[in-house]
Amino acid sequence: MIRLTWLQFRTQAVTAAAALTAFAVLLAATGPHLASMYAADGLDSCHGSTCTNLADYFAGSLIRSPYNVLWLLSTGVILLAPAVVGLFWGAPLIARELETGTAALAWNQSVTRTRWLAVKLTIGGLTAMALTEALSLIQTWWAVPISQAAADGASIGFAQSRFSQLNFATHGITPLGYAAFAFALGVAAGALIRHTLPAMALTLAIFAALQVAMPLWIRPNLAPPDHTVNPVTSLGNALASQTGPGGDTFTLYANSIPGQPGAWLLASGPVNAAGQATSTTPAACASVGSTGPGTGANQSASPQGSTTGPVAFLGCLASHRIREAITYQPATRYWRFQATETAIYLALALALAGYCFRRLNRRRS
Amino acid sequence: MTAAIEASGLGKAYRRSWALRDCTLAIPGGHVVGLVGPNGAGKTTLLRLATGMLAPTYGTITVLGQRPAAGPAQLAQVGYVAQDTPAYARMRVADHLRLGAWLNPGWDDELAQRRIAQVGLDPKQRGGALSGGQRAQLALTLALAKRPELLLLDEPVAGLDPLARREFLRSLMEAVAEHGTSIVLSSHLVTDLERVCDYLIVLVASRVRIAGEVSELLASHRRLSGPRRDPGTLPAGQDVIEESHTNKQSTLLVRTDEPIHDPAWTVTPVSMEELVLAYMNPASDIPAHRPQLGVAS
Amino acid sequence: MIEFQLDETSGVATYLQLVQQVHQALRMGMLEPGDQLPTAQQVVAQLAINPNTVHKAYRELERAGLARARPGLGTFITRSPSGTDPATQARFLAAMTDWLRSARSAGLGPDDIEAIYRTAFRTCFAEGAA
Repeated sequence: MIRLTWLQFRTQAVTAAAALTAFAVLLAATGPHLASMYAADGLDSCHGSTCTNLADYFAGSLIRSPYNVLWLLSTGVILLAPAVVGLFWGAPLIARELETGTAALAWNQSVTRTRWLAVKLTIGGLTAMALTEALSLIQTWWAVPISQAAADGASIGFAQSRFSQLNFATHGITPLGYAAFAFALGVAAGALIRHTLPAMALTLAIFAALQVAMPLWIRPNLAPPDHTVNPVTSLGNALASQTGPGGDTFTLYANSIPGQPGAWLLASGPVNAAGQATSTTPAACASVGSTGPGTGANQSASPQGSTTGPVAFLGCLASHRIREAITYQPATRYWRFQATETAIYLALALALAGYCFRRLNRRRS
Repeated sequence: MTAAIEASGLGKAYRRSWALRDCTLAIPGGHVVGLVGPNGAGKTTLLRLATGMLAPTYGTITVLGQRPAAGPAQLAQVGYVAQDTPAYARMRVADHLRLGAWLNPGWDDELAQRRIAQVGLDPKQRGGALSGGQRAQLALTLALAKRPELLLLDEPVAGLDPLARREFLRSLMEAVAEHGTSIVLSSHLVTDLERVCDYLIVLVASRVRIAGEVSELLASHRRLSGPRRDPGTLPAGQDVIEESHTNKQSTLLVRTDEPIHDPAWTVTPVSMEELVLAYMNPASDIPAHRPQLGVAS
Repeated sequence: MIEFQLDETSGVATYLQLVQQVHQALRMGMLEPGDQLPTAQQVVAQLAINPNTVHKAYRELERAGLARARPGLGTFITRSPSGTDPATQARFLAAMTDWLRSARSAGLGPDDIEAIYRTAFRTCFAEGAA
């Protein structure tokens, strides 16, 4: 049964190996140069929050370079790989046999359907997981300079924290879960619908929906978040902007939390002295003007003590005892979140696999 | 001899219709059984129930004494050639044989290779490039080389030209001669069945109309022709299956265990084709109480 | 070795056709005592018929005393059928037909007649060697 599975799986396996090889070659060829750019910017010997400016500079220099394209491409490949696996490996597994009638061949040898499916699911699932994780590991290695820059406090372009949506989904062990789930979903869709193309469509729809829902609504709640209230002037990169006529309302978003490098910000907003959310600009600050988002670079460039501009605006807010309330997940929880999310996807994959066995043995028609 | 297939009150329904109803059979082993009936009569359903591809709606069916597809041992004893004799389009003939070898502990590779060579199949050709007759021979090889005790075939020759049909039946009969395999073969073509079948089941509109050994069926049916008569005047024990009348003459197809004594009738034997056609005729009157002949219970 | 034919349209049962062809071959001298009849497998390979049909035909020949199955070796012709000339056969055929007609008009049915015949046959061939 194992040999038969490989025989039938040959084409897909070869395609996957070719794609993986091309991916690896492309990244292996460009990785060292990226690392040398990192070193050239003096980041090799400098780590931590003192190097944030260097890190920002390095990350910024990558934005209009081919490395941007490479990063997007490789991230896209990793995100799409489970979907491809689900559609082209999973959906046809049962559906194609039923459509073409070859199920009558496959299930009338001396092997029970249960064993037939068990071997196919295991080999396909493990291969899918290995493929996706391999892609992820290769890209993680290639992107080390970018991740380092992000760890050093950069938050420009695609140098984002590990917790950011794209990074969380493409690094660590989550790709294993996605691959297993997408594959099992494809097989289950095929078992349900019994035709390959509609099963592919259903697989794609459900997978995409979950991949959108997870970072937006589920992941933030995988552990109860922490809360903190910080002075607005201590916020490193804050987005302040005045809205409304005459600037009498404002919004303020923090980009990072002092003392919590690499944390995942879930929500942030200004609160008044009593701790309630506020958006009314104190009258005295209305004219100070935030003039657009203040970035770390801008802040350090403007002279201390100027009376207008973003820094002054923040100072004015602080004098009116307005602070920033932030909801976040600390960086230390990263692996815990990885494990939890992967476990969820693996559990879903197992449940779907169980459904496939039941459906296959039902024999209603 | 153990029954090859036993069904008791077997029925299968789909969403809106019955595919098979009240089917009670005891098909003996060691025979070539012909399962005849018009399209949609339930032949495919009965065979798929026997292979375990379908589960019954009610009633029971056992194959070689066990539930169909009960486990690897039972699966190994039953071979199946499905309608349209499917083959993997992108797999080569040789790979199909490897499939058989890997999935069947009882696989006789020498037999398989010999058959493939005998019927002229190119091992390197892909399933999708085979003609209908070649696919049928491949499917038959796969089913035979696993050395089953019972072989079920669902209209395997329906789409074949006469030469391919004859070749297929020849191969099948050679297998019976060589290995004593029990065969259940469904068809809606009667003429082929006459050559090969020694047990007959007629299935019409999801019900069994008659089942029995061909020799007994032929011995127990007679065509009577004579002056116009009301069939009701026949003695009991002579069941009229089919009747036709002109104003002067009556022709009856009668089932009886006793000899016909009435000199007014000209009595002629019935051929298998006539028998099957009579039972397939929806207008004919089937005695409901005994569809199955001469089965030792 | 004899090669069998099958006439699907004749209405005669297949096994009987085989038996008749053996009779015919014996009469024409194409088969002689000691000759082997084709094995079931050979007949099946040629005609694509049920091997049980062949077995049935050969059993019938055995019953008629024309052939004998030797386990592991095959089925062989043991003797030729009656060697009498056609004239003698015609005489006895006529006598038999007359007898049958009078039996029938006396009220005997086909099964009665067959029973009488078989009893006489058995009695006749049991006494004394054939």
